[in-house]
Amino acid sequence: MPIQKEPARRVKPYQIIQAVTGIGCAGYLLYRLYTVLIGSPTYGTETWARFMIAGLILGSVYALIAIGYTLVYGILRMINFAHGDIMMIGAFGGYFTLEAAKSIPAGGSNFSDAYPFAAVLAAFLAGVAIAALSGYFLEKIAYRPLRGAPRLVPLISAIGASIFLENAAQLLFGAQRRDYANPAVLTRGEGWTLVINGAKVILPYTGALTVILSLLLMVALYMLVMRTRLGRAMRAVSENKQVAALMGIDVDGVISQTFIISGALAGAAGVMWGLHLGLVYHFVGFIPGIKAFTAAVLGGIGSVPGAMLGGLFLGLVESLGPAVLGISFQLKDVIAFGILVLVLIFRPTGIVGEALTEEKV
Amino acid sequence: MKNMIRNSLRTGIVFGIITVFLFLVGFTGTAANILADLLNNESAPPLFGWAPPMLNTVIFVGLIGLWAGASGASREKDVAGDPYGAAVLGGGIAGFVQGLLTGLVMALVGTLNERGVMMSKYLAELLPAAVKQAMLGFPPPGAGAFYLLFLTAAGALGGLATRGLGRGGRRPREAIRTWAREKVEVLPWVQSLRRSPAVKYAVYGILLLGILLLPLFAGQYWNYTIGTVGIYVLLGLGLNIVVGLAGLLDLGYVAFFAIGAYAMALLTAPTPHNLMWNFWLVIPIGILLAAVTGILLGAPVLRMRGDYLAIVTLGFGEIIRILSKSDDLSDFTGGPRGVPAVAGPDFFGLNVNSGIAFVYLIFLSVLLVIFVTNRLQNSRVGRAWEAMREDETVSRAMGINTLTQKLLAFAIGAAFAGLGGALFASRNQFTGPEDFNLMVSINVVAVVIVGGMGSIPGVIAGALVLKGLPEMLRQLEDYRVMVFGALLVVMMLWRPAGLIPSSRRKMEIDKDAGLAETAEEGRGK
Repeated sequence: MPIQKEPARRVKPYQIIQAVTGIGCAGYLLYRLYTVLIGSPTYGTETWARFMIAGLILGSVYALIAIGYTLVYGILRMINFAHGDIMMIGAFGGYFTLEAAKSIPAGGSNFSDAYPFAAVLAAFLAGVAIAALSGYFLEKIAYRPLRGAPRLVPLISAIGASIFLENAAQLLFGAQRRDYANPAVLTRGEGWTLVINGAKVILPYTGALTVILSLLLMVALYMLVMRTRLGRAMRAVSENKQVAALMGIDVDGVISQTFIISGALAGAAGVMWGLHLGLVYHFVGFIPGIKAFTAAVLGGIGSVPGAMLGGLFLGLVESLGPAVLGISFQLKDVIAFGILVLVLIFRPTGIVGEALTEEKV
Repeated sequence: MKNMIRNSLRTGIVFGIITVFLFLVGFTGTAANILADLLNNESAPPLFGWAPPMLNTVIFVGLIGLWAGASGASREKDVAGDPYGAAVLGGGIAGFVQGLLTGLVMALVGTLNERGVMMSKYLAELLPAAVKQAMLGFPPPGAGAFYLLFLTAAGALGGLATRGLGRGGRRPREAIRTWAREKVEVLPWVQSLRRSPAVKYAVYGILLLGILLLPLFAGQYWNYTIGTVGIYVLLGLGLNIVVGLAGLLDLGYVAFFAIGAYAMALLTAPTPHNLMWNFWLVIPIGILLAAVTGILLGAPVLRMRGDYLAIVTLGFGEIIRILSKSDDLSDFTGGPRGVPAVAGPDFFGLNVNSGIAFVYLIFLSVLLVIFVTNRLQNSRVGRAWEAMREDETVSRAMGINTLTQKLLAFAIGAAFAGLGGALFASRNQFTGPEDFNLMVSINVVAVVIVGGMGSIPGVIAGALVLKGLPEMLRQLEDYRVMVFGALLVVMMLWRPAGLIPSSRRKMEIDKDAGLAETAEEGRGK
């Protein structure tokens, strides 16, 4: 049998642009890395360690929020634009709980300082509960009636919901930024001291709590999705709604539960944000929300482990990026968005992305 | 019966939450002020012992109660042969539940206020004076009881009204519509008026003339507002091409607006570059720069479907703002302080930088853009965009190069925004990073969506409603953005085609509603 000659592949102009941009970016990055690490080191090891710690903490918060985007996108093929604002609601829930705990006298001082574990637990429970509830009602009011509508319609509804939540929070709670009232043992900025290169590097308690708790939550979520009946139903619905319904799965119920779970994770992320970074206000969810979406795309939207990896990666890049590229820290948001554009150019399926079908892209 | 009670309960809960929410965001007080202006009773003598502010609060809450009653009752058609009794019962239940929620919150808030708790530390609008006004001069438990009784009565009345107004149990709106269809629209002269193109053009002509003469009689302040509305019409028409025709959601539209504005500012202003170019030379440069940026941004991203585009453009809009604000680039862009003394246009040595002349310049640009949009929409390109919006795969099969078409739409939309930005900077004689925050993009999206995607009259109406109306109701300024958000959701739920839908688009959305399920099944997704 004669071997058929493969037709000569035409190189599309787009691929040339892709290659040039890729080589350019990679080359510049290597050059910068060389300059910063070997050529003329601006920072010592201890500074890099500080950046790493900050990035890891931020990344684990992003990862938690990103999971919410990924879960909802996997099932409904829509970006839940108001997800960042759900996180804001969770942060406020935790804030009010801690304020209440501070004002209740107990054991010599107040409840929050006397029983820090209970107070923080209560803050998490309140934040998670209210965020989960908001997620449930958000879906019920703003998204469910639009199922089956053209793609643009629920997306616009989501944007509207996001604007509404932000501004309603501003009107309700006022525009000022509020400080989280941490229990005394979890004071922001205090932590274990490591000595690197003769300089002190602080590993903050709140940061450790954030990283450990979010890792635990991620493992729990992964177990839920892979091992439980609900997780199997979620995966089935994300695969094919009609067939899932035929198999006796209550599709609407599963979607509601997905929103509750993603809301709960965002709520936990909000409380962590408040405990670690402190400032909470009506707009607090906006930038983390977009960053987390970037993280979800980075990891491959629709994939849960991808969202976790993407979040951690983005947190690290964001805190190391300005130092590596030698630009001011004002521009760290630009790096995150730049990465989003680059990912979409080179690997729209993300780090661990499944092969995206036309429908999903 | 059971069904009816359940519906009424649900309506009551929803309205109760709305009432409490309105109170907590301070809207009750604002509404009382607006009512005072409308009724002109600011200095009226007290009625039932209430001074006008309290009286107006009661009137406002009563209106919500009537509405709750009307919605609570209008669900069930006839129950047990007694429509009036059922309506009153349904409305009353809704009002009772609403009153219960409102009364409980009021009593709680009032009690805390009397004990001297500073609630405004956590809930910004609950200042002692505002709470006192809401208490209507009663002690807190009494105020709660009053709201409960008052809203129950209002609800029952509202329920009764739905049956009283609509003959034979019909709702009033339906009754009016039926009356119009049966009695008015069959008259021969109405028919001929509806069909005659002369009438259509006459109406358009009068409208146009009115708009053209308006700036001569409006004062400086209103001319400024008219100019702003005009610029938003420009932006809306540009975004209309991207979102309405091509179906690409661009949330960073402000970036192109900013590029136009900064082009105008940096090239004509004495600082920071001292180039001092001519206005008319810079206008095309601004348009071109915006269009080129649109292509550069669009090329990598437009291969994706909508959702990615929304976020990337959103990020891009923020990048432009952060860059223009950053200290690193302040020698080039003027940094956080912006660029002052941007030049205005001159016309053969005649400086037309006065308020009125600039409004006419904006009108001229709007007319030009309307003309271009109209020609584009009805051309091969416009049809290609709409085909692409409806189904990308099929349109590709029809031989449309979707990437080129998307880029074209993106570039033209960006060009309009560039024009708008250049005019904006020149009119304000200033440009700074805070002119280009996310809210501008959101406003423009809202203009297009509320007006009607793909419809030129819709965009104009949207700009008038969203930018013009708030100027008239300055008291509502605080609530404007929140209402925008709610409006986007509500429009999507109830009228996804917009206020003045384009005929083609309306057909498609109506059809979509029916066909969506079949399509889903067919695709197996």
